[in-house]
Amino acid sequence: MIAEGDKSYVLFPLGEKRFALRAETVTELARPDSVQTFPHRTPLLTGVLVRRGRIVPVCDVAQVLVGPAAPPRKFYLIANCKIGARQELTAVPVTGECELASAASVPLTGSEPPYISGLLSIAHETIAIVALEKLICVEATA
Amino acid sequence: MKPLKQLRPQPQAAREDVIVFVVGGYKLAIAAGAVKEIRGMDDLHAFTLGGISARIAKLKYTLERNGTTYFVVDAAQHFQLPASKASRVLVLRNTPTGVLVDSTDRIMEISALHGLPPAFTHEERGWYRGLAVVNGLVVPVVNHNAFLNRSELEILRAGLERVRGVVTV
Repeated sequence: MIAEGDKSYVLFPLGEKRFALRAETVTELARPDSVQTFPHRTPLLTGVLVRRGRIVPVCDVAQVLVGPAAPPRKFYLIANCKIGARQELTAVPVTGECELASAASVPLTGSEPPYISGLLSIAHETIAIVALEKLICVEATA
Repeated sequence: MKPLKQLRPQPQAAREDVIVFVVGGYKLAIAAGAVKEIRGMDDLHAFTLGGISARIAKLKYTLERNGTTYFVVDAAQHFQLPASKASRVLVLRNTPTGVLVDSTDRIMEISALHGLPPAFTHEERGWYRGLAVVNGLVVPVVNHNAFLNRSELEILRAGLERVRGVVTV
């Protein structure tokens, strides 16, 4: 049962930890596909995927969220992300299967980085809600 | 409210011949119309022009063709890739620029050019005109005017004139 104030989130694993994206931004969970790379200098972007004729950049957020020791990514979570004035699809590699959950966010402690927009408390687990656009912007300007 | 479809950038649907070439293991493409000649490494002269060589480190050689001096840029260095084994020079049209590449692959026709996704925010925005998709393979189409930009060419022309002037005197 969804309580009033609850919102839906897609919970995704990156190694031992799980993170959340707001469900309304997620368009699909894609099976492993061949990431295509070409020379570029933007941090976090590992290449692009071609999905239904569209070119989708792949943003490896694990480098920021859990560091270089993250295990191999198995799936791509494809989410809408506002970059500049435009809504763009972005593929986020994740390390396992994802889960849809409804929960109310709990207040931030104040020590979180700017790309964490909230926290979820689900069955003794605290899960950070990732603001993908902020994460990409912070890293791009780092 | 506008339907989402109208908000999406549509690829430019214009047929264009491109030359596919390889640099550092990556396949890239350049407008066929921008290339005057593809040649080997013969007749290249190492470029050494005092401070200019240091300022434009990717500039490796000059090539004299029909009374014109072409400035030959190492594409691997332009794209900030590790050094690669160049074997061909793309001599560009309408600009005194040559581009050292590992190999040329083929000429093909692309039917659409997709804009580089805005998530790419660094130097690559100047390097590419866009991305072509050929049989599921993404091939960046280079911006041929970016190998040496206008100000770099002016510096080079001035430097060359200065050297020639010294030689003449």
